[in-house]
Amino acid sequence: MNCRNSIKRTFFVLLFVVGSLSLTGCAVAPWERGNLAKKQMLIDPNPNRSALRNHVFDSKESSQGGIGGSGGGCGCN
Amino acid sequence: MLKFYQVISLLMFCSNISALQVNDEVPVCNAKLEGLEEVLDLNQYKNKVLLIDFWATWCPPCMQSMPFLNTLRNEFKEQGFEILAINVDEDIFAAKDFLIKYPVDYPVVFDSSGDCPTKYDVKAMPSSYFVDQSGKVRVIHLGFRSADEDEIRTIVLKLLKEGKNELSQ
Repeated sequence: MNCRNSIKRTFFVLLFVVGSLSLTGCAVAPWERGNLAKKQMLIDPNPNRSALRNHVFDSKESSQGGIGGSGGGCGCN
Repeated sequence: MLKFYQVISLLMFCSNISALQVNDEVPVCNAKLEGLEEVLDLNQYKNKVLLIDFWATWCPPCMQSMPFLNTLRNEFKEQGFEILAINVDEDIFAAKDFLIKYPVDYPVVFDSSGDCPTKYDVKAMPSSYFVDQSGKVRVIHLGFRSADEDEIRTIVLKLLKEGKNELSQ
């Protein structure tokens, strides 16, 4: 029974290690990052526009939002 | 259990065994010259200090490095220094358009297949490989900042000096 458990444990450890090593196959090589470097691939492709929208949103909501926008309820900075 | 770890360690070691190291011979790869007919021949750069620069149009530090590299190349060209730029853009025409707007005096070759960066084991963009007169990779410089300019200049001067010393012996 002990031997069986030991084999089982080894099998799972092996599976884990091989699985971890094979994850590197998903890496994008440094010279293949042309598409990832495009502006439209950014999480926030237009930070200035987002900041303005956040500011307007915070002002209209009369309170600071939880998204880092600046300004108070009066609409000013 | 010991054997198990031995095998895993060996596998991990083998995954890095093909990586280009300092003091290795400069690898030959299939980059093409501007006419897209002629393949790059590194033999023409023998007995010269060569800087092989991997760049792409989407890489801002690469763009930043090019005016400096052009100046450096023109400064030390007569002393036996040359730069070879390998463009790795998938779209070769984007690179050509860029070079029309911002021309450089050193030769530029194109490799959209990824053969050259794979053989050189490029780890960052841009990557610069300093090759001495005997054809060995002596220094691998990753990335570029304006603060690196002095360091790059020092490496080039050192390799040029080594070449002169060897000739005089």
